[in-house]
Amino acid sequence: MNILVVEDEPKAGNYLLNGLQELGYSVSLARNGVDGLHLALETSFDVIVLDVMMPKMDGWEVLRRLRKEADTPVLFLSARDDIADRIKGLELGADDYLIKPFSFAELVARLRTLTRRGPSREEEQLQVADLQIDVLKRRVTRAGVRITLTNKEFALLHLFATHQDQVLSRSLIASRVWDMNFDSDTNVVDVAVRRLRLKVDDPFQLKLIHSVRGIGYRFDTQP
Amino acid sequence: MSRRAHSLTLRLALLFALLAFASVITLGVCLYRELERELIRRDDAALVTRVDQLRTFLNDSNTLDLIKSKPALFQNMLGNRESVLMIGTAGKKPLLVVNPGNLDLPNLAPVTMDHPLVLADVQHFSGVDGVPFAALAATIDSGDLGSLQVVAGRLMTERTSVLANYRLRVYFLAGVAALLLALCGYLLLYRGLLPLRHLAKHAHGIGVGNLTERLDSQGAPLEVLPMIDAFNGVLDRLAKGFVQLGQVSTDMAHELRTPINNLLGETQVALQQSRSVEAYQQLLASNVEELERLARMLDNMLFLARTDPASALRQRQELDAADEMERMADYFEGLAADAGISINAHGSGVIWAEPMLLRRALANLCSNAIKYGAPDSELVVSATPSSEGISLRVSNHGATIAPEHLPKLFDRFYRVDESRERSAQSNGLGLSIVATIMQLHSGRYGVTSENGVTCFELFFPGRVLEGR
Repeated sequence: MNILVVEDEPKAGNYLLNGLQELGYSVSLARNGVDGLHLALETSFDVIVLDVMMPKMDGWEVLRRLRKEADTPVLFLSARDDIADRIKGLELGADDYLIKPFSFAELVARLRTLTRRGPSREEEQLQVADLQIDVLKRRVTRAGVRITLTNKEFALLHLFATHQDQVLSRSLIASRVWDMNFDSDTNVVDVAVRRLRLKVDDPFQLKLIHSVRGIGYRFDTQP
Repeated sequence: MSRRAHSLTLRLALLFALLAFASVITLGVCLYRELERELIRRDDAALVTRVDQLRTFLNDSNTLDLIKSKPALFQNMLGNRESVLMIGTAGKKPLLVVNPGNLDLPNLAPVTMDHPLVLADVQHFSGVDGVPFAALAATIDSGDLGSLQVVAGRLMTERTSVLANYRLRVYFLAGVAALLLALCGYLLLYRGLLPLRHLAKHAHGIGVGNLTERLDSQGAPLEVLPMIDAFNGVLDRLAKGFVQLGQVSTDMAHELRTPINNLLGETQVALQQSRSVEAYQQLLASNVEELERLARMLDNMLFLARTDPASALRQRQELDAADEMERMADYFEGLAADAGISINAHGSGVIWAEPMLLRRALANLCSNAIKYGAPDSELVVSATPSSEGISLRVSNHGATIAPEHLPKLFDRFYRVDESRERSAQSNGLGLSIVATIMQLHSGRYGVTSENGVTCFELFFPGRVLEGR
């Protein structure tokens, strides 16, 4: 995946560049709007991460000019979360926005969603190592042993299994499993994951659910 | 109202002037009419007297001779240019014509001999240049010469000028009266409004530094008292709000201290010497925790500051209460089970609310209820519809909250126990967010705590169908 990051704040630009490169993406970084627009028009990117507040040419202007030429997906980064600002961005043709501060895992998840081409086909059978999930019958077995899960535990496991190798943030998990789209002060997600582990991982040798300290959880056959 | 501000004093002064002018003019016109009528009566009487005299006078033939021989005598006798006298026989050249002003004499029907002259016999004409002209014609028996006709008339120049003078004086007096009254009114009002100016000056001096000061109602006129009271009321509310705002800022700064102190301290200690990769990872993870806490607090503070009812209300939906209760039970299932608490969620009806805000409010209440709930107890989440809306209740078993704390529970950063032991999980904003959400929905919220059962109740008003 080819990503263009347009961000004037040096530290933010650096960590976005490093973080995305470490995940195996090819990343170009522009330190101001003018360079960003130039790069965006010259090279073809899969997705553009665009900061709103920049000197000389702000994100709005970059997007306005970019949209005359190309329809590359654009994710806005903004420190302001006025409704008016959001609407303005979406009207100009932005595809998504994130309010600072945001979690890095959240950004990666959003970028993946933006670059996914076409609706993904819902798998009826999922297989991860010796874990089998029958989505239609909501039946889970591991090494031939049937595992009984509650509705939400199943939803959580299904989310993990369809996002293998990806770090999922707590807020993303809360939003996808319980439709709770706000940062809660509670550790509901941690508790739910722990209870899922109790059933899915603890009785078996190979662990599938891994904690990624300070970020969230990863579902993976590799430790 | 984008009109220019107007001066009350000036307006009233002008109004006084207008009233004075109008009343003096009205009086003047009445008096003028009376005077005019009196003057006309007098002039008419003079004409009648003259013709009467001529009737007697011309009976003598000597007089007739005298008229014929010395007409100038008669002309002089009349004494002015406005008078007209004509004596003659009908159809013949007149014997005497005195008409120095060369006025056109209209045709008049003479009053017969046997008829005594009265004022009503005088006839009036418009005359020359609008100056009225009065005339009287009569038949005279002159003995030898038979019957003669006398026409006596007078152009009322003098009367007209007297009346014109009178009119002018009336206008002048009215003008003077208006001017005087305007001036008096202006001065009186200026003096009368002095208390208002004093108040304005006083109010001007009240600022952030002396919000406790109040406007003085002593010596103020009765009419201004309600305004002073209202203004003082505004000051009271402002001062209260200001204190609260200041308190919130202070509390927030204190709340920020803990995570920032942790970040700073842990990081500085870690940098004192080289450490293992494991230790650095641990430090960074801990930093992330603190930073997430800061971000959450920021998010909550912004949420509380940005109360935009219009956009919240636009996104209201009719939500199934049973579904929402079930969602809460699902969400907190694990957390509650860890604490040994079972969740009993039930209810029916429809909630007219913005879904995210509703869930946020309920989640805040439920997480509190689990946090402070007694082990092996039941957490009840219920919805009870009524004709006006729906009541949502979250009640748990646990320590009773003292009554003095109850009204303050929804204040920002208010905590029943001052210890920071649990503050890693809460930042004292949860319930104030619930309060804000309920205010956005024009709903009600409240809490009771008795006999070990604490119950939070939220009331959402039902949907009002407008313009159907």
